Amino acid sequence: MLKLENINKKFGQFALSDISLFIHEGEYYVLLGRSGSGKTRLLELIAGLTTPDSGSIWLEGEDITRCKIQKRNIGLVFQDYAIFPNMTVFGNIAYPLHARRTDSKTIINKVNMVAAEMNIAHLLKRHTPHLSGGEMQRVALARTLITSPRLVLLDEPMASIDASLKDDIRRVLRELNRKGHTIIHVTHDYREAVSLASKVGVIHNGHIIQEGPPEGVFRKPVNRFVARYAGIRNFFKVVFRNENGHWKAVCKNKLIFNLSDNSYPDEGLMILRSEDIKIFNEKPSGKHDNCFMGTVRDIIPSEYGMEIMVDAGEKFYIDVSQEVYKELQINELSDVWISFPAEAGIVLQGTN
Amino acid sequence: MIIRYNPFNWVLLILSSLVLLFILAPLTGLLLNTGPTEFFETAGDPEVQQSIWLTLWVSFVATLVSALGAVPLAWIMARRNFPLKNIVQGIIDLPVVLPHTAAGIAVLGFISRDGALGKAADALGLNFVNNPSGIAFAMAFVSIPFLINSARDGFAAVPEKLEKAALNLGASRSRVFFTISLPLAWQSIVTGFVMMFARGMSEFGAVVIVAYHPMIAPVLIYERFTSYGLNYARPASVLFILVALAVFIMLRIFSVKKKVIHLTPDAEA
Repeated sequence: MLKLENINKKFGQFALSDISLFIHEGEYYVLLGRSGSGKTRLLELIAGLTTPDSGSIWLEGEDITRCKIQKRNIGLVFQDYAIFPNMTVFGNIAYPLHARRTDSKTIINKVNMVAAEMNIAHLLKRHTPHLSGGEMQRVALARTLITSPRLVLLDEPMASIDASLKDDIRRVLRELNRKGHTIIHVTHDYREAVSLASKVGVIHNGHIIQEGPPEGVFRKPVNRFVARYAGIRNFFKVVFRNENGHWKAVCKNKLIFNLSDNSYPDEGLMILRSEDIKIFNEKPSGKHDNCFMGTVRDIIPSEYGMEIMVDAGEKFYIDVSQEVYKELQINELSDVWISFPAEAGIVLQGTN
Repeated sequence: MIIRYNPFNWVLLILSSLVLLFILAPLTGLLLNTGPTEFFETAGDPEVQQSIWLTLWVSFVATLVSALGAVPLAWIMARRNFPLKNIVQGIIDLPVVLPHTAAGIAVLGFISRDGALGKAADALGLNFVNNPSGIAFAMAFVSIPFLINSARDGFAAVPEKLEKAALNLGASRSRVFFTISLPLAWQSIVTGFVMMFARGMSEFGAVVIVAYHPMIAPVLIYERFTSYGLNYARPASVLFILVALAVFIMLRIFSVKKKVIHLTPDAEA
């Protein structure tokens, strides 16, 4: 469907470097990155607003690297929607058809059809400065979809709308993808990636550092940057050693983790997902691969319940639901026990 | 607004009032010293009427013709980066800082029979000197920066994303210019147009070098003053000031309507 081969492009001090991508027909690709990482620049390259210094862009087997923006038929929805304030909603949606010199009867029919699909038929006569964020987003999508683009590019589609409307837009985007639209969605929010993506790419400093299905990328991040993106807060600089055929990770302060059988480097960065760590107010019975006593240092309400920070020689961040938190009956400075299985430890490249 | 007792506020008030008085006092004196009989006599004078009419239409045509090149130049200055752009901006602003008589000499050198344009026009049987077309040249030369700079600010205020979105939706560059950039910068362009028109019609220094005759209003006022004295020049001045005032009010109305373009509803809050 879309193939980017070794794309390089300099923008003053910043550069997109050696970007290669392959996106299949019907895929929902989420490009994840911080602001300034180059994700919007990459979308503009694909759309044709700029051309690469080297490398090539292929769409459905056709080399479009130097193809004019008007000929690509790639729809780009901008972060701020870029709704034309001098036109009504109808004028905005009809704009690409006017540009293609479509006859007025067809324009009216198509605009009414796409407006009905997007649930904005009642807004067609409205002037755009009076629209809400969610309505603007739908108008921008309708305006892009009216020409049936070969590929839809979405630049931070949920960045400028209220949290209450995000679910609504997420549903619209999922529906579009289900209808067969191939979508590249750029965002800085990994939860958007988890909820929408069939494939994820993480971009940092103009370079794609990891790519794959979201569960793969977020379960097995390749470095600390991606791990942080996946919401991981437990990082340990460790030295690995094999004792009687069993692998162990030794932290700086000598805390020792038991690891699953695998091959390990001499030293590295080990991560633990918060949800893989269990917390108890008494020493748990039975056999546990890793079980430590610690003191609660901080309790912070989080999106999913509570985040508890336990100092067991190293700092551990643990997510628990409100129900579990109530059952635990703990406060700051309470002594608790934590445990996690040997296979929960993930080793990252490098130590930074 | 209630001014609280504060020495700083009083100093501000007094200094501001002095400036306003400085502007208003001569104009008020001019109005009070002009009797209705002299005023209406002058207003009915065909020479004065022709002169004001000539000033208005020549300045308007000069502005209109200049706009054909000035508006695209303004768009380039707002949207494109190129080597020596600052020098180009300096060239655009140059007429504002030149002494107007020097500007007149420069224009005369260009359009007289010895000049490049004058020679070409002469070959076609045209003469710019002492002709409304020459006056238009002089007016446009000194006032065109007002149009270019206002239009440039207007284009710069149009979010570039809107132009990019239009291109992405399949519009050609010219379509984007006429359907997005121009309509959204329109108020600034109109403001610039009115400013250039107003500045052009009040020009004396450059015009008097290029064309003493036919006489535009500022030259006529000067001629009446030097030939017959202050009392004779006063009614013509009042009449012309009232015309200029009407243009100025028009300019203020357009300026007040100017608004910032927001892309998102949040940005408006």
